[in-house]
Amino acid sequence: MNTTSPNPTLVLSAIYDQATIRRRKWRMIKDKIAQHSMTIGGISVIIAIVLIFFYLLYVVFPLLLPATMEKMQQFSIPAPTAGKTRYLAAEEQNEVGVRFTDQARVVFFKLTDGSVIAEQALPLPAAVTMTQLAIANLSTGVIALGLSDGRALVIKQTYDISYPNGVKVITPGIKYPLGEEPIVVDKVAGTKALRHLAVQLGETTNTLAAITADNRLVLTSVVKEISFLDESVTLKRTDGVLSLLLPPSTQVTHLLLDKPQRFIYVADSEGYISRIDISDKKSPHILERIRVVKAAQAITALKFLTGDISLLVGDSSGKITQWFPARDANNNKTLRQIREFNHQTAPIVDIAIEERRKGFVAADNQGQVGIYHSTAHRTLLVKSVTSGIAIQQIALTPRADRLLVEDEQGRIQLWKIHNEHPEISWSALWSKVWYESYDQPEYIWQSSSASNDFEPKFSLTPLAFGTLKAAFYAMIIATPLAILGAIYTAYFMAAGIRKIVKPTIEIMAALPTVILGFLAGLWLAPMIEANLPGVFLLFLLLPSGVLLFAYGWNRLPRAIRYVIPDGWQSTLLIPILLLITWIAFELSHPLEKGLFNSNLPNWLTTQLGIAFDQRNAIVVGIAMGLAVIPNIFSIAEDAIFSVPKHLTMGSLALGATPWQTMTRVVILTASPGIFSAVMIGMGRAIGETMIVLMATGNTPIMDFSIFQGLRTLAANIAVEMPESEVNSTHYRILFLAGLILFIFTFFFNTIAEIVRHRLRRQYSSL
Amino acid sequence: MTELNTARTHSLNFAALGRSEPTFELQHETISLEVKNLNLFYDNKQALHNINMHIPKRRVTAYIGPSGCGKSTLLRCFNRMNDLVDDVKITGEILLDGENIYHPAVNVADLRRRIGMVFQKPNPFPKTIYENVAYGLRLQGINTRRILDDVVEKSLKGAALWDEVNNRLHENALGLSGGQQQRLVIARAIAIEPEVLLLDEPASALDPISTLKIEELINELKSDYTIIIVTHNMQQAARVSDYTAFMYLGELIEFGSTTTLFTNPAQKQTEDYITGRYG
Repeated sequence: MNTTSPNPTLVLSAIYDQATIRRRKWRMIKDKIAQHSMTIGGISVIIAIVLIFFYLLYVVFPLLLPATMEKMQQFSIPAPTAGKTRYLAAEEQNEVGVRFTDQARVVFFKLTDGSVIAEQALPLPAAVTMTQLAIANLSTGVIALGLSDGRALVIKQTYDISYPNGVKVITPGIKYPLGEEPIVVDKVAGTKALRHLAVQLGETTNTLAAITADNRLVLTSVVKEISFLDESVTLKRTDGVLSLLLPPSTQVTHLLLDKPQRFIYVADSEGYISRIDISDKKSPHILERIRVVKAAQAITALKFLTGDISLLVGDSSGKITQWFPARDANNNKTLRQIREFNHQTAPIVDIAIEERRKGFVAADNQGQVGIYHSTAHRTLLVKSVTSGIAIQQIALTPRADRLLVEDEQGRIQLWKIHNEHPEISWSALWSKVWYESYDQPEYIWQSSSASNDFEPKFSLTPLAFGTLKAAFYAMIIATPLAILGAIYTAYFMAAGIRKIVKPTIEIMAALPTVILGFLAGLWLAPMIEANLPGVFLLFLLLPSGVLLFAYGWNRLPRAIRYVIPDGWQSTLLIPILLLITWIAFELSHPLEKGLFNSNLPNWLTTQLGIAFDQRNAIVVGIAMGLAVIPNIFSIAEDAIFSVPKHLTMGSLALGATPWQTMTRVVILTASPGIFSAVMIGMGRAIGETMIVLMATGNTPIMDFSIFQGLRTLAANIAVEMPESEVNSTHYRILFLAGLILFIFTFFFNTIAEIVRHRLRRQYSSL
Repeated sequence: MTELNTARTHSLNFAALGRSEPTFELQHETISLEVKNLNLFYDNKQALHNINMHIPKRRVTAYIGPSGCGKSTLLRCFNRMNDLVDDVKITGEILLDGENIYHPAVNVADLRRRIGMVFQKPNPFPKTIYENVAYGLRLQGINTRRILDDVVEKSLKGAALWDEVNNRLHENALGLSGGQQQRLVIARAIAIEPEVLLLDEPASALDPISTLKIEELINELKSDYTIIIVTHNMQQAARVSDYTAFMYLGELIEFGSTTTLFTNPAQKQTEDYITGRYG
């Protein structure tokens, strides 16, 4: 014990030395700062993610809200002496309402207080009264009056907006697009009153249809022909008559003429609807007459849904059904019931159609009003508005945000409707929906079109499907390559090449995906199309070539094999792989010529009936597979490499071959890590945007074929977000797609993380 | 000077250790392994210098020596674990029953089945206790349930672990204590009935009670196996081994019966080491 150790008391006193105390304080401060800044960093990351989540939720949330309505005004009918209301309407600015009375008078009134702005009588010939009133397509404001002498008068409402003295003034007026002289519709009878009337004014063709008292359908069509030579206009009139042959004592209750002037629908008192083809105006013919309500029920309201394809039938039990022609099992187009709404109980008296969406409002004779949407099959609100008094008429403004209700006691109520996003329901997003003009329910994403009549198709199913399809094909290519590569690199490869290979593959993750997508879309896709047999050959030859080479190598004499140091043999594969690739592509064209009629894509389509898109799942699989490989490879390689050496040693020392050790111990121990690598790769493949955007063709179809394109949720957001109107339903659905993606990737990454944590806990003793 | 005396007292106190049996004589033993002119180079740095020795069958042979003397390296030569280290060059021969294990035609996996090894740190696989013991048999393609059951039971009993684990054979082996894990690893090694068992400081990571159990186990196992043990604990070598080799700086300094080596070392270096001058 004669070593010179410092005196213990000296050491202790040094601890309380002033400089040491300062240094220790400073050390504490540094430690605290580091600790706090790390905590702040971690918490901010979590806050950022939570904020993103809540912002997405905030934008998506209004989609779930039901409709509400609030009463704004109530007043007695303006100018009650003008007669009973036959038709009630309001203009776009929600300022002026109008009612057409049974005495052929028009009353314009202010929506704010019901005061009359203008009242005028329509110019009817002497001793003739109005018997019927028909509304053409809502947005045109065209109305036809059926007269007691068998003639009809067509009028159009106009609302001129001017700004005298900077104040907006709306001046309502009446125009006569076909002249002030009534048109003779029923030529045969001459003086018989028109029971029902329908009108459509088109760009070149105007058609009037009427039902006479003896149940004949009379058609008058005027075609405007503009001469090519001198641009002079000639009007050509065609008349047609059809006897409806209804059973005796059956009366026609409703008549509808569609906007393209092709079909007429006639509802009768027995609860049947006749569909009449009028494409030949001279000889209209009945296509079918089918029952649309249950026995003992009557059709009490009939309207076209906007677009004039679907019929909405309101019956005396309060049920509303939607019908349109679709092919049945025998491939015949017949009127079929698409869906029904059962939320009202009293007879439906009137249905008001939204002009710009596939929604409608129905009123019954017990004072209830229901707001519905057809595509979403959604009842947004049912509300009693008149405390039990029967409703006579309802009218929606063009923007569908005001509802006019006229009840039997001569009062008009003005309601404000909040109904921003009726188009969305669980079924509209995820189930098959029977869209207009389709023959059966389908999953379709088709979000926009130029026309207001268009039925938006917001099924997220094909997009979610496309996302999973793209991820699936990418993972099919990436998973085996990345994992096998990781196993080889971590376990068999010489340390010298591993030092080059690993960072090289990892740096691939930094490759901008827009470049990968660009190459995939503009180089790979056409290249694959031109060399399709070669590509398939490659998928076949590459693995078998590698195996064959490995077998052959092992059969070589030791002397040759030992020239290559252990772990470097894989480098010999590089020229072999290049050679195989070259052979496959050289064989491509002869093969195509010999077997597939010189064009494999064409052959697939004509011989096997498999459609071929140039930008298809193969291209996505390869391009996105390449993008995902570095992620999977890197994590899997780390997991395998970090399997404790003493486990490998233990296995080898028990007489295991390296292969047995790898399959039975290394993979087993690294399996949670490999699983988490695959999950993270999956998360990446699902959220990937640029590659799928550029390489898939963005066709939202539900087809698992490897030769077909797809559209993913992420690409869909990128494609459509710039063109979607802020806060519209479409915009919010894109955010919903984003929320779903967020949840998808969150889910996959969380699983990966949980597995990794369990691994860490379980193997902490290794 | 007092310290030295203590060490000497320890090393000489054989009677207290209960090892007063007749002295082992190498020339009367059957030889299991023979090392001939063995040299080992790491990256041109020589780690073993011309080792020559005979390892007797069904005896416990201990290697002692200071850290870095090459005793573990020599041990790993017996089952060719050094092959797994990059840039290792070995010259000379090791004969197992008269056959050179470094001959190119030797199947290394087969060799390692015949020469089992237990490492310093317990290394059970992340599998069940049962599967850990059955591992070596499964490697040989033996998957018959009955055989496996028998061997697992026999091996666990042989490793004195059966009573502690027989009711939880299908639980993960990582749940065992360190001493239990080490005995499990020994059970795993003897399950494939090796001829030689290499123990690389098998008790150095264990508490005293576990160490005692391992030492008792070694005593029982030597009736069936040739055991070679590396230890830097001289008392342990004295307690468990029949023969002891002292290595220093890659050279075999002295080899002989344990009693002789500890009581009457022939070499000055050996005496210095066992009396605690260095190490």
